[in-house]
Amino acid sequence: MANVPKNVAANAQALPVAVTRREKVQEERELVRLCQNGTGSAFEELVRRNQQRMLALVGGILRHREDVEDVVQQVFMKAYVSIKRFDQRAAFSTWLYKIAVNECWDYLRKKKVRPLVYEADMSEEQVSRLDGIVSADRPPESVSDRAEVRQLLERMLEKLPEQDRQLLVLKEMEGFSVQELAEILDLNVNTVKVRLFRARGRIMEMYRGRRGAEVNPGA
Amino acid sequence: MEQQFRSAACSEYEVLLEDFVNGELNGADAKTLAEHLKDCAGCRLAFQNASACARLLHAAEPTPDPGPGFARLVMARIRSEESQAEGKSIWQPFISLAWRFAATAAVGLVALMTYDLTGHFRADRNLAVLQPGETRDLFSSDTATNPPRSRDDVLILVSESNHGDK
Repeated sequence: MANVPKNVAANAQALPVAVTRREKVQEERELVRLCQNGTGSAFEELVRRNQQRMLALVGGILRHREDVEDVVQQVFMKAYVSIKRFDQRAAFSTWLYKIAVNECWDYLRKKKVRPLVYEADMSEEQVSRLDGIVSADRPPESVSDRAEVRQLLERMLEKLPEQDRQLLVLKEMEGFSVQELAEILDLNVNTVKVRLFRARGRIMEMYRGRRGAEVNPGA
Repeated sequence: MEQQFRSAACSEYEVLLEDFVNGELNGADAKTLAEHLKDCAGCRLAFQNASACARLLHAAEPTPDPGPGFARLVMARIRSEESQAEGKSIWQPFISLAWRFAATAAVGLVALMTYDLTGHFRADRNLAVLQPGETRDLFSSDTATNPPRSRDDVLILVSESNHGDK
């Protein structure tokens, strides 16, 4: 099995620093071409570059299920099997996202998974923590605080319609762009924007409703 | 949920408002929206809500990178699947040949057994025909109305049929 050429490997090392999206896409094109010519290590590099976003995407759709890693591995295996037929008309990551979304739907259909409902409400302390974030004077600093905030927010997001929840998680928590979301979910860009905007309104309405209930439990 | 919620914003400005929340609005669109926001309290409220939501969700920890171990795990799984597939491909022709052979043999066996059983059935029926008193139409049309009563009658009948006419 041949190795990835040095220039691509060197660029890969420098990737986290400042590689623009266009350069990244160009490098991925080269890696895909190498992979199609039988360079297995090129595929490993593609996995390494996309694994975090794939886990975010699949986790965003399946939520925090234990099978997320397994589904992501399955997605990469499917991509490996069919990469020779990939014509590179779309970016590799876009192609990969579509495989992932299909795999997630298959998973949900096979398992007949129903939406999780978190029954537990937030404590007064948790509400006050979120209040601090909303008013922008006390953003969480440590990773553990941010992880806890994520858990609290996911409880609220569970109450949203499924597609709105996915859009908000992928856009705001995982950093996907509107363009990427439109490609992944096969939606018009403006549709994504409108849905996102309305979903923001919904989540804030729920947050304020829950907050009111916590602060004035008897009301 | 879908029916309960109504955005406070004017629907024709929602795309611009979303762009504004994402910091992607400039030029003429920014000016148009700014003019609208001056006069529309609903859009101002919706924008404030959307901005607060963005702050809230940005505070959440994104999914961490699983590190290089994950890519190695994926590649190991791919290699394992590949080697399994190769293992299958070496033996696959022999296995399929063996299955075909077994199926042909089974069909042949069933055919033989069927033939054997129907043969026995026919022999049983012939014996039944030869039961005394139920003998019919063995020698001539005459015997049908007047069957032989004894061994001597049978011998006479046979001698007649073999020699009498010829």
